[in-house]
Amino acid sequence: MKDIAGRALDTARSRGASYADTRINEERTQFVEVKNGRVTAIADTSSMGLGVRVLVDGAWGFCASAEVSAAEADRCAAVAVEIARASGKVRDKATSLSHLPAATGSWETPHKTDPFLTPLSQKADLLLAADKAMRSVKGLKLATSSMQCWEDKKLFASTEGAYITQRILHTGAGIVGTAVSEDDIQVRSYPTSFGGQFESGGYEVIERLDLPGHAQKTAEDAVALLTAKSCPAGRSTIILDGSQVSLQLHESCGHPSELDRVMGWEANYAGMSFLTPEKRNTLSYGSPAVSIVADATAPRGLGTFGFDDEGVPAQRSDLVKDGLFVGYLMSRETAGGLGLASNGAMRAESWSHIPLIRMTNINLLPGTWKLEDLIADTKDGIYMLTNRSWSIDDKRYNFQFGTEMGYEIKNGKLGAMLKNCTYTGITPRFWNSCDAVCNESDWEIWGTPNCGKGQPSQTMRTAQGAASARYQDVQVGVGFRRGS
Amino acid sequence: MNVEPANTLLAEGEAQKLLKSVLGRCPERAEAIYLEADEALTRFALNGIHQNVRSRRRSIVLRLLIGKRAGVASTSRFDAQALDALVERARTMAELSPENPDLGDLPGAASYAPLAGYVEATAECSPEERAEAVRQVVDPVKKQNMVVAGALSTGSSLVAVANTSGVFAYFPSTASNFTCTVMAEDSSGWVDVHARDWRKLDTAAQGRRALEKARVSAKPQAVPAGKYTVVLEENAVAELVAFLGWTGFGAQSYQEGHSFLNGRLGQKLTGERVTIIDDAFDARTLGMPFDFEGVPKKKVTLIENGVAKGLVHDTTSARKDNVPSTGHALLPPNPEGPLPYDLVVGTGSDTVESMIAATERGILVTRFWYNRVVDPRNTVITGMTRDGTFLIENGKIAGGVRNMRYNESVLDVLARAERIGKTASPTVFDYTRNTVVAPAMQVREFNFTGVTEF
Repeated sequence: MKDIAGRALDTARSRGASYADTRINEERTQFVEVKNGRVTAIADTSSMGLGVRVLVDGAWGFCASAEVSAAEADRCAAVAVEIARASGKVRDKATSLSHLPAATGSWETPHKTDPFLTPLSQKADLLLAADKAMRSVKGLKLATSSMQCWEDKKLFASTEGAYITQRILHTGAGIVGTAVSEDDIQVRSYPTSFGGQFESGGYEVIERLDLPGHAQKTAEDAVALLTAKSCPAGRSTIILDGSQVSLQLHESCGHPSELDRVMGWEANYAGMSFLTPEKRNTLSYGSPAVSIVADATAPRGLGTFGFDDEGVPAQRSDLVKDGLFVGYLMSRETAGGLGLASNGAMRAESWSHIPLIRMTNINLLPGTWKLEDLIADTKDGIYMLTNRSWSIDDKRYNFQFGTEMGYEIKNGKLGAMLKNCTYTGITPRFWNSCDAVCNESDWEIWGTPNCGKGQPSQTMRTAQGAASARYQDVQVGVGFRRGS
Repeated sequence: MNVEPANTLLAEGEAQKLLKSVLGRCPERAEAIYLEADEALTRFALNGIHQNVRSRRRSIVLRLLIGKRAGVASTSRFDAQALDALVERARTMAELSPENPDLGDLPGAASYAPLAGYVEATAECSPEERAEAVRQVVDPVKKQNMVVAGALSTGSSLVAVANTSGVFAYFPSTASNFTCTVMAEDSSGWVDVHARDWRKLDTAAQGRRALEKARVSAKPQAVPAGKYTVVLEENAVAELVAFLGWTGFGAQSYQEGHSFLNGRLGQKLTGERVTIIDDAFDARTLGMPFDFEGVPKKKVTLIENGVAKGLVHDTTSARKDNVPSTGHALLPPNPEGPLPYDLVVGTGSDTVESMIAATERGILVTRFWYNRVVDPRNTVITGMTRDGTFLIENGKIAGGVRNMRYNESVLDVLARAERIGKTASPTVFDYTRNTVVAPAMQVREFNFTGVTEF
């Protein structure tokens, strides 16, 4: 592979590229799903290819191919240069990259048990056990259990002398109970929605979740939701569980802090950002309880790696410090515009895509509260758990989220179960209303396996570390027809 | 120098030979799908090209059946050793999988209606041609001191399906898309067009349309949330209708009991003027003549004059209901079951202009954004307006308004549609790759629940 990578770089250089990098990836995925006692999907997919990215006279070109050979490396490099020359015809300003010492090295996701070596029968049996426990609950319409693991063997080399190999493993699983009445559909997931919890690691991630042990309660909650009270409409204090805070972070902090969005590069698709450059070091993004970091070195996160897809070493940097907005997620190209160096946020879905600025692990730093103390400290409010729906405008101001389940909080105690919980707000006002974040005992690094961005569209696996948090005076109970 | 050869898609005979070689390695029944795509995309922002890519991908997806067990594996390598490994992986998957009594059998050989999907000019579009088309959009925008961002994509793709029961289906096609957002100081305008022949995109004209939207929506005023008469342009209607496809027109969701149609088939759910069919042969879609099981695509009426009429099937869901498959299987392992991929909403007799003229006070919506399901049983979704939202007063555009959040039932919107456009164009959804062809609509009492900051 080293020869093929070298060939791609040599050809790019000889055809006029001032900079080139190549990535050769071998990707594998395994997916198992059980629904109502049947194994409804069992699949093992693999894909291999190379991509060559070049800068010619300050303009970008990229070409990728599923054939990994010296001849194809030549072809891709030549096509990438041809494309870059076409890019240069509609461009005023030449691209430059911020300085980066050339890295060499290798990195592998720490894990105990390779998920691809765990027997398939063991995986199916685990899901069938969870499925059986869910279906033991009367009134459940549909039980779904699934697991997925990904392996990405990556080689990165650049004309600046970088040569990096990595093996990244992501693993996870989850269960969903669906209950249906004539006018209602309710779902309850464990440990969270979007297929469950996913982490960097091996099969031990799935074993730790103990899906069968949580299956009955998950199904019981789904059925109970059908007859639960609806979330009231109005303004309320809310406590969000850590998994919901995680998605709130993802949508309202992670995306708007992507510097390519800020610069307008995503204006036609994913959108832009309200976190414009003059707001850095001046905007009160949140209350002093809110400190958020981008940390690709955090254990277990789906945004944990050794190097990003430009060869920048994994690092931790501040996005929001004690409520003040202080930093962006950056690439080599965008960081240079602010006189900064990249903080290593360039990630590509596969060999066939260019890297884009993506979230790594966007972590809300733990606060000081124990969850039970926070609930006890809340006189009147709603405790909302597990995301069910999510929507936010293209500059990341106006959002509306729904959760699978909630509870009334009355005089410091959890009360009746609530269904159809929704809340809406404007991002900086919402985070400035955050007056409490729970401590390490409630903190988890939640995986988001389905983050979309880019044209052509790319899907990325990111993570957000979060604990439960409290927000004051939030508009709740929008969307659903009241009284249902 | 053009270093790229022209069409590189695998020829029909070669595809058949390759898939036969895979099936010949399988111990029992099997289905093999060959997928190839050669796609290029030129992306621009801040009035210049900032990303410009081409990728050539290929893979074989194998579904191998042993009795009532199925395993799926895929590979992008086609040498003998890789194909042996592919079959071994699928066989292992199948053997370790418990029996699934619901598993449908493989369909038999079929003939396919012709569908002209391949346009050489699109397959061979060069980066220089794309750059020139982008330049024609950028230059007029620069002259107005505005900025534009967008993408122009062109490409060819191939789907070939074969199975051990005699199916062989082969469909090469091309697709192209132009989209752009023109941005003024405090407003924006957007267009998005799709065609198999990229020369029909007319990027210069589309750029002018987006520029005009940005110009007219300048200095947006905030109007309060509430119920308004709306004129929804074609893309906005398509964004809403797509959710009916994802949440209920597929037979599996109905069989599992969580479709919005459960208990409602045969009932009147929308206004009488609303008819929705799935039709891959409608020239405005980007459909293919067969599904991923090699079953010919059938035209399926889903809502006829407001009444819920039907569902789309693959072989597994069809077997459960004892009906023939309608040719709507997705790529295996396909846990979602069959889905409509080429929805077409019936047209009426109005134009956007006549709908605006017939609106005393209302909102014109270019597009919706970040739409998500809130209440699946009642088809309630939420989302935002974006890139061209206007106030209508006394039958005329009165200027731009700040973007607004809505919460609405799609079925209720279709029940409150007062006027329907006489033309319809395709909206293609990026991640699912399905198409909705929809006309514009004037809808009364559309429920806006919030306003954003811009």
